[in-house]
Amino acid sequence: MSGTALAQPVEKSRRRWFDLRLLVAALAIAGAVGYLMYTGLQSTAASYFVTVSELQQRAAEVEGKRVRVGGDVVPGSIRMGGPGEPIHFEITDGTSRLAVVYEGVLPDIFADGRHVIVEGVFRSSQPIHADTLLTQCPSRFESTPGQ
Amino acid sequence: MAELGSGALIIALMLAVYGLAASLLGARRHVPELVTSAVRATWGVTLLVVTAVIALVSAFLTHDFRLAYVAGRSSRDMPTHYVLAAFYGGQEGSLLYWVMIVGILGSLALYVHRRSDRALIPYVTATILSVMALLLFILTFVANPFELLPVTPIDGAGLNPLLRDPGMMVHPPLLLAGYASFTVPFAFAMAALITGRLGAEWLRSIRRWTLVAWGVLGCGLLAGAWWAYHVLGWGGYWGWDPVENVALLPWLTSTAFLHSVIVQERRGMLKVWNLSLLLASFILSVFGTFVVRSGLLSSVHAFAVSKVGPWFLLYLAAVAVIGIGLLIYRLPALQSDRAIESVTSRESGFLLNNLLFAALAFATFWGTVFPLFSELFWSTKLTVGPPFYNQVNGPLLLVLLVLMGVGPMLAWRRTDLRLLLRNLRWPLLAGLVTASGLLVWLGRPLAAAAFASVAFTTLVTLLEYLRAARARRRANRESYLAALGQLLRRNNRRYGGYLVHLAVLVMAIGVIASNFFQVERQFLVRPGETGTIGPYTIVYRGLDDRQTADAEVVAAKVDIYRGGVLRDSVESYRYFYRNYEDQPTARMGIATIGLDDVYVVLDRWEDDGTASLRVYINPLVIWIWIGGAVYILGTLTLFWPQPALARQRAGRLVRGVVPSEA
Repeated sequence: MSGTALAQPVEKSRRRWFDLRLLVAALAIAGAVGYLMYTGLQSTAASYFVTVSELQQRAAEVEGKRVRVGGDVVPGSIRMGGPGEPIHFEITDGTSRLAVVYEGVLPDIFADGRHVIVEGVFRSSQPIHADTLLTQCPSRFESTPGQ
Repeated sequence: MAELGSGALIIALMLAVYGLAASLLGARRHVPELVTSAVRATWGVTLLVVTAVIALVSAFLTHDFRLAYVAGRSSRDMPTHYVLAAFYGGQEGSLLYWVMIVGILGSLALYVHRRSDRALIPYVTATILSVMALLLFILTFVANPFELLPVTPIDGAGLNPLLRDPGMMVHPPLLLAGYASFTVPFAFAMAALITGRLGAEWLRSIRRWTLVAWGVLGCGLLAGAWWAYHVLGWGGYWGWDPVENVALLPWLTSTAFLHSVIVQERRGMLKVWNLSLLLASFILSVFGTFVVRSGLLSSVHAFAVSKVGPWFLLYLAAVAVIGIGLLIYRLPALQSDRAIESVTSRESGFLLNNLLFAALAFATFWGTVFPLFSELFWSTKLTVGPPFYNQVNGPLLLVLLVLMGVGPMLAWRRTDLRLLLRNLRWPLLAGLVTASGLLVWLGRPLAAAAFASVAFTTLVTLLEYLRAARARRRANRESYLAALGQLLRRNNRRYGGYLVHLAVLVMAIGVIASNFFQVERQFLVRPGETGTIGPYTIVYRGLDDRQTADAEVVAAKVDIYRGGVLRDSVESYRYFYRNYEDQPTARMGIATIGLDDVYVVLDRWEDDGTASLRVYINPLVIWIWIGGAVYILGTLTLFWPQPALARQRAGRLVRGVVPSEA
C-alpha cells in the first residue's frame, strides 16, 4: 500500500489501458462462453422438460425433439421381459398416460408408483424410446420409508 | 436423551441471539466486556450444539425409536457404522451437523485470532452467530431432529439402501463440512467490510480458512465421485447432476479466490473481486445445502418442497443484499494500488485464470438453474444434460490446463518473452510430440490435444521443481530429495500449490481417457458362457444367493481373461435390504487390470441363472483416485507452518522467472 502514492501520476494514464485490455479479455471470454452455451442449448444437449399432459398438448411442437418427461409409474404396467430385453411401462401425471420403452440397465429405485424421469426423442402415437431412465436421488427419498 | 437434545438446541438459540446482540452492541458502544462475553457465548453455543449432536448420536446407538428421525433412518439390524452415519442421513441431522462444524471452526477461529485481528473480532463473532442462530431457529421450530413419534415403533425403517455404502461414511460429512467451513472466511470478509479495515492483514487469516473449506470440499467431491462410480451403475463418476453441480460451484469460486488472493497480497489489486468471490463462495455453499434439501431442481413433481426452503431463500437474499451493499459502500477504499502493466505478466495470468473459473462457475450454475429460468421467462421448461456441460466446460477446462503451465512461468509486472520461450521450449516440444504421436496412434484430435496440454503443463511443473531443487542443491549442497523437501517446507505456497496442480493433471489424464475411450457392451449370458469386449473375455460363472444381517444378496460371478490368461475375478451384486425389497441396490464389480477398469453391472437375471450383464471398460480411471490422493497431500502441505516468514517477505522484492528458494 505504502509507496505507491508517489507513482500515482504515472499509473493514471496506464489505468485506462488496463481497463480496456481487461474489458477486451473479459468480453472475449464472456463471448466464447455465451456462444458455447447458446449452441449447447440449441443442440441435443437440451431437452424439453414436460409432464405427460403437457407432452400431449404440445405434441406438434416437440415432435422429433428430445423430451424429458416426469411421471409416476402406472402400477401393474411394468413388463420386464427376460434379461436383456427392453422394459415396457407407462407413466402418468394423474390425467394422461405415456407408454415408455427403455433399453438399458434397470435403475435401483424402479417400481410401481415411483416417480421417474425418462428422456428420449418424442414421436407422436409411438411409445417413447427412452435412453435414460432417472429415478429420484436418495436424499429426496427420505420421506418415503416408514409411511 | 430427546429432552436433553431439544433443550440444548433451544438454549443454544437463545445464547446465540444474546451473543449476536452483545457483539454488535459491544462494538458500537466500545464495550470490550460485551464483545468478550459474545465470544464466550459462541463457545457456549458450540458446546450446546455438540451436546445436542451427542444426544442424537446416542439416540441412534441405543435405537431410541421414540424419535421420528431415528425411527425413519435406522433399524436394529443395521451395522453400527451405518447407524452412526444415519445421523447425517436426513435433513434435520445434516443441518445439525452443519451448525456443529460452523461452531467448532468459528470458535477455533475466534480463539486463534483473538489477538491478531482484534478490531475484526466483534463482527466475525456476529456473523458466525447469525449463521448459527438461523440454523438453530430452523432446527428448533421447522425441522427438529428430536421430534417424538406418537407411537413408538418396535423397529425403525432403516437407512435408504443407496446410502448404505462406505461412501456414506466419508462423502456427506466432508461435503457438509466443506460447505459449513466457508462461514469463517465469509465472517472475516464481512467484518473487514463493516469495519473498513481492508488492508493486507486480514487476508492472511482469510486465506488459511478458505484453504480449509476448499480442501475439505474438494475431498468431499472426490469421495462423492468415488461413491457414484462404485454404486450407480452407469460406469461414470460425475454425471453433472444438479446436486453435484451446486457442490462444485463453491469449489470453483474458492479456487479462483485462492489464486487471485496472491495478486492482492503481492500487487494490491483485485480487492473488490476477491471479496466478491468470498461472498459468492459462502452464498453458493448455503445454496448447495438448500438445493439438496429442497428438491427445488429435481423435477416438476418433486416431493413436497421441504419446509426449510423459504428460510434458506430468505437468508440467501439477505446475505446477498447486505454483502453487495457493503461492497458498494466500501468501493472507494477498495481501489487497486497498482494497475496491470503488461498483458504478459503474472497478474494477467491470474486474472485470466479467474475469468475462466468464473466462466466455469457461471456456465455450471446457469445450466443447473436453467429449468427454473426457462420456465419463468419462456414458460417452457428446458433442461440440459451432460452434453451441454461437456461442450461448454470442456474447452474452458482445456484452456485452464494450458494456463496452469504458462502462468507460473510469467513474471510479475512484465515478462521477457524470449526468456519465457526459452523456459517453455522443452514443454512445448513435449506437447507437440504428444499431440502428433497420439493423433497417429488414436486418431482423435480432441483427445490428442487434451493429452498434449497435460503433457506440456506437467513438464513445466516438474521443471519448476527441478530448477529450484538444483539451485538449492548447488547453494546448500543438499541431495535432490532433501532439496525437494526443503522447497515444500520453506515455500509451501508455491511448491505445495504445484503439488495440487500435479494432482489436477493426474486426474485430468483419467478424466480425458475415460471420457474419450470408454467402451460399453451388454451381454445376455447363461452360466459358463463367455463374451468379449475390447481385448477382454468375460466368463460368466453364475449367480450366488447370500444372506447378510440386513439384506439378501444376489451376486454374479465373472472371470476376466486377457490374452487367454485369467487376470481377475469380480462379483457384481444386487442387495435387497429388509423394508426396501422393491429397491434392489447395486454394487459394481470393478477389476483394475493394467490401465483399464473392467466394470461389471448385474442388470437382470432369471431363476435358471441367465443374466444380462452390462460391462464397461473405463481406461485410466484409477488415475483419478491417485490424483485425489495427491490432492489431499498437496492441500496438507499448504498448511505447513512457515518457518521463515520474514525471509519470505523479503523475497517478495525479488522478481524473475525462477524464484530462488526465497
